[in-house]
Amino acid sequence: MSALSARQFNMASRRQASNIRGPRSALTDFLASNNISAVQIRDDYDRRVAEAARENVGEQPEQPEPEPEDVEMEEPSAGPTPETESPEDKAKKRKRQQAIERIKKSKDFARRKARRTGEPDDDDDLLADEIMNEKQRPLPGQLGNCEICGKRFTVTPYSKTGPEGGLLCAECSKKHASGEKKAAPKKRSAGIGRRQNQSALLDGLASQGTQSLLETCIKKVAENIADVEEFGDLPLPVMNRLSQILARRRAITSTTLDLFIRPQNREINIFDCAKLDTDDYHKILALMPSLNKLNLRFVTPMKDRIFEYMMERGLPIEHLHLDSPNLVTDDVWRRLFVRLGSRFRSLKLWNLDSAFDDETVEVMAKHCTQLQRLKFKHLHRIGDKALEAISTMKTLEHLSLHISQETSVEPLNQIVANLGSNLRSLSLEEFYYADDRLVHLIREKCRHLTKLRLAINAEVSDQALATLFIDWPNPPLTFADFHRTRDVDMGNPAGPEEPIGLASNAFMALMAHSGSKLRSLNVASCRHISYKAYEEVFSEHKRYPELKYLDIAFNGVVDDYLASSIFRCCPALTRLVVFGCFKIRDIKIPRGVAVIGTVGAKLTVDGITQKELV
Amino acid sequence: MASQTDSVYVTLVSSDGFEFIIPRSAACISGTIRRMLDPASKFSEALTGRCVLETLNGVVLEKVCEYFLYNEKHKDQVNVPDMEIPAELCLELLMAADYLDT
Repeated sequence: MSALSARQFNMASRRQASNIRGPRSALTDFLASNNISAVQIRDDYDRRVAEAARENVGEQPEQPEPEPEDVEMEEPSAGPTPETESPEDKAKKRKRQQAIERIKKSKDFARRKARRTGEPDDDDDLLADEIMNEKQRPLPGQLGNCEICGKRFTVTPYSKTGPEGGLLCAECSKKHASGEKKAAPKKRSAGIGRRQNQSALLDGLASQGTQSLLETCIKKVAENIADVEEFGDLPLPVMNRLSQILARRRAITSTTLDLFIRPQNREINIFDCAKLDTDDYHKILALMPSLNKLNLRFVTPMKDRIFEYMMERGLPIEHLHLDSPNLVTDDVWRRLFVRLGSRFRSLKLWNLDSAFDDETVEVMAKHCTQLQRLKFKHLHRIGDKALEAISTMKTLEHLSLHISQETSVEPLNQIVANLGSNLRSLSLEEFYYADDRLVHLIREKCRHLTKLRLAINAEVSDQALATLFIDWPNPPLTFADFHRTRDVDMGNPAGPEEPIGLASNAFMALMAHSGSKLRSLNVASCRHISYKAYEEVFSEHKRYPELKYLDIAFNGVVDDYLASSIFRCCPALTRLVVFGCFKIRDIKIPRGVAVIGTVGAKLTVDGITQKELV
Repeated sequence: MASQTDSVYVTLVSSDGFEFIIPRSAACISGTIRRMLDPASKFSEALTGRCVLETLNGVVLEKVCEYFLYNEKHKDQVNVPDMEIPAELCLELLMAADYLDT
């Protein structure tokens, strides 16, 4: 018995064996109940494979004739088969004819024919032949002959079709594909990439034109930061921008930090230190002996010994800006202020919850005798006592407070009363109990303010704010922020009779007082500003030449008409924030303005319509 | 050569002697070049319409010119993709961009 017939025997016996019923699965039972038999499906498949192989031979008689069952076997050809019309050939021809007849009746054929009608060569036989050839292509896993080089190869789902309709081997596939034209790059239409558009808008990039070469290069450098060995002589603003971009990508590590440490520089700004460790801070302090400004954010691993080192070295630091140095203890903070406090010109601290208490602030107020700029944001452990201490710091010109404890009214009023005359900027956020008295004090004392923020409060009345701005001897503000100053009473959404927070009168008074110089205005959630007030403020002849940034989020009254009035009155506008302004449905946005927060509105940017998806 | 002051084209010359002749409007995207070529300035560059940029070599200046024209071409479009910059050139180009104020 030859090897071949032994195989055949094996396969036959296997097939028989599969007819023996063993334990059956639920699926098999289900299929059987629907008259579907796995055995039959496999038999059909085997038959089709055999048929395909046989017809393949019928078509290409010069090919070695593989036995139907041994498609996997690679046997050298035994020479071309004679082309005489053997009875076997006749049978094959008949079979082919039958197959073609079957195809002609099939749905696929009808469909293709329907598609072809109208074309001149509307020949059924040709079409049937074509389908037939397609069906004859070997299935994945089988062997086939390459159409170009004629080599035998295993067909995979990825095998390419050659120019004549046959399949190609892997090598020829590659050659064939490289010869083909590469698909044209996808064109972006205005409607696509909404997410990207919004992201760019939030970054403040107006979508017009190209970015500056500088910005493009900075981005590129940031992308390839791992390959950069040294920055060379980059100017400081460029370094800062790089630092920002890298921070945003969370790409500042010990290695990239080295690029920013330059002994001759007097300042360092790292906006994300989360991946640095204590030794890296040491490195900064040790390698930059003339450090004047230390601006580090997210400095979680900064510990006492860094501060101690700072004191030991007696670094000439005048500007200390740290975000979340929570591992530094109060004791060390106090020693720092005692030792270096007299040098400090500006101190900015964010997010402290485990250290830095009232007593530390008192030490700071006592020793930082030259401090001009003080910013405390989200400091959890300071309260009234700290505010009292701050009110004694006569040198302060810029004060920004957003502390987490609830404080009483008095200390805050004291601050404004004592320091107001000297202040250039004042930012008070989330002082719930601040009331009209504070506003009166601001009016009375402040004469040099350029920036005023009074945000998140539900006590100050519209009347008091309006009075503040009417004939206030302070020159026009460049920055005004009154977001979330409004009455919050779920039961009475329209607010009380006498409006609370920045409402119509105060808004008009503010714009009359500061409109000429105002660059940034935030009245988000000031929901009691009326339509009429908006109409008045942005009426035809009014102009706000400097206004660049305007936030009117959740001012529900603003509609398409008011939005267009705003565009007309603010020629310098670059950003308009309109979250929750649902009456904005269809606006024409001038060139260079980023409108943020529209929902389902039709935006026309410089003549190009962008329909927003919701 | 007074006739050069109002020519539509200007010549930018790199430190190693490569010359690039590009439209004036494109070159004036750069603040530095714009000021050089400002007819009111009476700089020799303004009179001859020829800027010799000693700090830039030919390779960088070529890329810079490419950017000028890229910018000119896309200035009225929205969502313009950034120009391709080879990584090995980007630091030099960054310095050039800073110098040229573009």
